[in-house]
Amino acid sequence: MTEAIKNGPTWVGTSLPRKEEDRLLRGRGKFVDDIKLREMTYLRFVRSPYAHARVLSVDTSAAEALPGVVCTITGKEVAAQTQPFIEMAPGQGQKIRDFPLAVEKVRYQGEPVAAVIAESASLADDAAELVQVEYEPLEPVVDSEEALLNKSILHEEAGTNQVWTGIWEFGEVEKAFQEAAYVVKIDRMHFHRFSSTPLETNVVIGQWEPKEDRIQYWCNNSFPSFAIQFIAAHLMVHIDRIRAQTSDIGGSFGIKITSYPQMAVCALASKKAGGRPVKWVETRSEHMTASAHGNERTFRDTRVALDKNGEITAIASRHIDDCGAYPRYEPLGCVIYSQVFCGTYRFKNARIEFTQTVSNKCPVGPNRGYSRMQHLWFLERIVDICAHEIGIAPDEMRLRNYIRPEEFPYTTPNGCVYDSGNYPKMLEVAKDLIGWDAWQKKRAEARREGRMFGIGIGTTLDSGTNNFGQSQIVDPNAPFSGNSQGANCKLDIYGEVVVAVGSCPQGQGHETVAAQVVADVLNISPDMITVRTGFDTERNVHTGMSGTYASQFVVSGLSAVHGAAQKLKAEMKRLAAFVLKTSEDDLEFGTGGMGPEVKAKSTGKSINYWGLANIVNVNSAVLSPELQDVTLNCRYIWRANFKVPDKEKKYGNLTLTYSSQLHIAVIEVDRDTFVPKILDYVAVEDCGVAINPRIVEGQVYGATAHAIGAALMENCVYDAVGNMLTSTFSDYTPITSMNIPNIKYGHISTPSPFTYSGAKGMGEGGAGPIHTISATLQDALFGQGIFINESFNNANSIFRSLKYREGGQLAQSVTLEKRV
Amino acid sequence: MYPRSFHYHRAGSLKEAVTMLGQLGKNAKFLAGGQSLIPLLKFRFANPEHLVDLSFIPGTSFIKEDSGAMHFGLMTRHSEIEHSALARRIPVLHDCAAGIADVQVRNQGTIGGSLAEADPSGDWANALITLDTTVHCLGANGTRTIALSDFVTDAYTTALAHEELVTEVVVKIPPKGSGGAYLAFKRAAPVYPSASVAVQLKLAGDVCEDVAIALGCVGLTAIRATEAETALRGQILNDKTVATAAEAARAAADPQSDMRGSAEYKRQLIVALAKRAIQIAARRARGEKVEGAHLYA
Ligand SMILES: Cc1cc2nc3c(=O)[nH]c(=O)nc-3n(C[C@H](O)[C@H](O)[C@H](O)COP(=O)(O)OP(=O)(O)OC[C@H]3O[C@@H](n4cnc5c(N)ncnc54)[C@H](O)[C@@H]3O)c2cc1C
Repeated sequence: MTEAIKNGPTWVGTSLPRKEEDRLLRGRGKFVDDIKLREMTYLRFVRSPYAHARVLSVDTSAAEALPGVVCTITGKEVAAQTQPFIEMAPGQGQKIRDFPLAVEKVRYQGEPVAAVIAESASLADDAAELVQVEYEPLEPVVDSEEALLNKSILHEEAGTNQVWTGIWEFGEVEKAFQEAAYVVKIDRMHFHRFSSTPLETNVVIGQWEPKEDRIQYWCNNSFPSFAIQFIAAHLMVHIDRIRAQTSDIGGSFGIKITSYPQMAVCALASKKAGGRPVKWVETRSEHMTASAHGNERTFRDTRVALDKNGEITAIASRHIDDCGAYPRYEPLGCVIYSQVFCGTYRFKNARIEFTQTVSNKCPVGPNRGYSRMQHLWFLERIVDICAHEIGIAPDEMRLRNYIRPEEFPYTTPNGCVYDSGNYPKMLEVAKDLIGWDAWQKKRAEARREGRMFGIGIGTTLDSGTNNFGQSQIVDPNAPFSGNSQGANCKLDIYGEVVVAVGSCPQGQGHETVAAQVVADVLNISPDMITVRTGFDTERNVHTGMSGTYASQFVVSGLSAVHGAAQKLKAEMKRLAAFVLKTSEDDLEFGTGGMGPEVKAKSTGKSINYWGLANIVNVNSAVLSPELQDVTLNCRYIWRANFKVPDKEKKYGNLTLTYSSQLHIAVIEVDRDTFVPKILDYVAVEDCGVAINPRIVEGQVYGATAHAIGAALMENCVYDAVGNMLTSTFSDYTPITSMNIPNIKYGHISTPSPFTYSGAKGMGEGGAGPIHTISATLQDALFGQGIFINESFNNANSIFRSLKYREGGQLAQSVTLEKRV
Repeated sequence: MYPRSFHYHRAGSLKEAVTMLGQLGKNAKFLAGGQSLIPLLKFRFANPEHLVDLSFIPGTSFIKEDSGAMHFGLMTRHSEIEHSALARRIPVLHDCAAGIADVQVRNQGTIGGSLAEADPSGDWANALITLDTTVHCLGANGTRTIALSDFVTDAYTTALAHEELVTEVVVKIPPKGSGGAYLAFKRAAPVYPSASVAVQLKLAGDVCEDVAIALGCVGLTAIRATEAETALRGQILNDKTVATAAEAARAAADPQSDMRGSAEYKRQLIVALAKRAIQIAARRARGEKVEGAHLYA
């Protein structure tokens, strides 16, 4: 490895190559499936071919008779020895009984009904084929609005398919409508179901050692502290008896947060197998059908009030979220959307009725941009459609409605505090990068020739470091609030600087940025710092909120690292002052001939880190009595300064930081193939101070590619009876380099006043391209009389809309009421 | 998933492969590049008890010109054809080879396996049907030669007997003044096309003397669009005649609605691809160098 070079006054802000890159690019990463344990057994699930059916019988005898099969486990056996998973929904939702293997009913295609455990993975596959399950098919429900009619109920115990409902109302909505110059109504909009396709699927090794009554997990769950809370209650064991470890993780995008049911089965299977470790490696098809998808949402009866200048004064709408067969992490999405309640806009009056329903589809899980991207897409559609209806250009419309730069920190109608931002500036930077005026000219020319040509803008937010207190808005009894993360910084016995964090990175470069932060505190090179990432309960640097999710490491993780490093530095100062017989003010941190050291400026005498560590760890008799509390092993728990929100009013600050993104696209729809070809693309990011600009840029490319895929290629499709039609990559077509346009990257920086570094969490990206591509297609197709009311658009669907339009069968309704 | 267990056999010669398969019986299959067969095994859609691997038979991977024809060995990989200067002389072949799936699949998949698989969306059968192509086979009763049009009889069905092997694919080199193009529409690289069109034509001045047009992925086998050919044969190529031919191709297509698109949309794609492929083929016939690139969603 080449030596690290600082390209500014501090390591923070330097585009340091990633410390983990060397290991990962050479194939030396360590992933769960790389772990080989003695006596390992292998698990395969037996899954339902039906979306909705009663399980009449499960016969595992033939599987058990197969040589090499260790044991099998069924839903009935699981139910007999466990509690159903915790449900976060209050009321009827509490009655939902979710077990990791189906007990009486299956509720989505691919739901596991039994598992077989064998001496090898291929034997487990053989045995799974021999399990006989008898089903009685029931009527499936795949549409959320139909689900709400309760004709066929998924969870009979709950008596309804509705998981949750609530109303967000702020300001004077009806008054605003009465006084409006324009009222725009949009009948229906729909945000589609898509997912993430991490290179590495879910993998778990679970071991429940009966002698020690201790459960061990090696897993790639990306929020293990949450997973073990669910598992411990389900298995009725002390959480202290569960050890969960993660190593390198090949992508998660949030979707790996909800692997706890499979983790629970691995433990139960291990117990039945006499404590032998049980490994489960999810196949790609399993991942596509039965891990987790993103939330699907329908927006009904939207009304928008605007004044004569095109400023939005009020929005009213009904949102129906479809969470699939089991709520699991839900109904958190029902409140998380409100972190970005007003998006980047200033309107004060709004009424949103938010309802969530189950359906016979794969359960949802937090998927990059979780619950907020759906809402941001909804707002962006409103802005473009209203602009068009009242005849204002989309850029101008945004400028009139954006929160002004001087209004930050800005309190939203529902009490969230946007820390910083400058949306007009981002628009300016993006326009410059794409060559706005030149494209406008080209568009005019193209349209003269009858071509379908569009330019569109998407503005979005990436809210990070959430206040778990928002869970109390969905369930007043939820025992969660605030946010925290732990870190440890120490001088090891030989004086090595070792940092440990409770995060589980999946490519975000935590090792690198944590080293940059500590390097600045101690004034040494990041090369001299070892960072241990990866969650491990027994490393004792986690809190109940540790993990890697919700665009927050730079805030929660690095604040904890920074706190721990400062604590260590303070101890080192006390110790060095004693050894060097000087005052703490006289000390200087740096690197000398014997490595990293602390020096007395007055005498020039120094002590290196080995010397300091030596005294505390193996030479403690020389310590003075006042220094007995020095450990050089400093743990720091960072806590966000949040309050519990007002549950009745649904009011309060839900997130600490708000990165923003502004994207512009240029698209031409081919007149023969109807392929929407991206001719130019710009992504501008504002995440405040970038700790490592190169990593930020990389995250932007990744998030942009992911959401271009979602906008144009990736769609989880179910047929009318709940068969998943996109269970392979051939059908789901995740985006590849062949489909990614050249992305022009730009950034501005409005530092956050709420974080020690000025950084704002980023990485999820707010699904900018979904909004932007919808806006751009909208611009191209307004001329054809088409409203983009779906978040997923491809050549086939554009062709269909145009044909339906021609044939007069297009069921779309947007109306404008002018009162001026 | 893992395939069910099977016995693996390695054939040392073509003859041995045929004998082995005959002896092993109905539950045995040849294994070439494995790019169709292995996925089927992993899904357990196909569960043969024996696999006879053809990969180690010497002299089965080649591209050579001989008496006015191009010869391809059964094990010639898509990528070898993609990178062969010789094969480039028949542009349809290069277009086809270079556009199949992704690098990994092209490095493994073979022309022999592709024809034997007869996947309705497979590229080779559609591209080669516009050329004078014969398939050389070796079976229990010795060798025989089958015209490609008689070789693929239905979806996933060929004229091959159970133990019969494709040994060589022979393509007659088109006469001077010919040009061809193969264009597919693909949603993503590692995915079969939604629709494809192959065109091979010969020009005399501006007049299209002869033409073959085939449509892929829009029927159980590749479809020869004979009405479209008639619309061009003996005609001057211009926007009007090309459009007429493309419309005739639309009518000849018989697609199904599926995840790759609705039947109506696939017909529309056929029109778009036919127009472009005819135009590229014509330019190539005039000696222009035109890179034919598939269309991506
Ligand atoms: C992700 C992916 C994407 C793909 N996309 C495309 C695409 O876009 N277009 C396309 O055309 N193809 C595509 N393919 C298929 C690929 O081209 C295969 O290589 C080809 O279809 C089969 O060739 P093979 O050598 O791999 O045959 P195998 O898979 O080994 O065999 C296929 C069948 O043919 C039989 N067989 C093989 N060789 C012979 C022989 N010489 N004589 C008689 N029988 C034989 C086998 O017994 C088997 O039944 C794709 C494959 C994958 C995995």
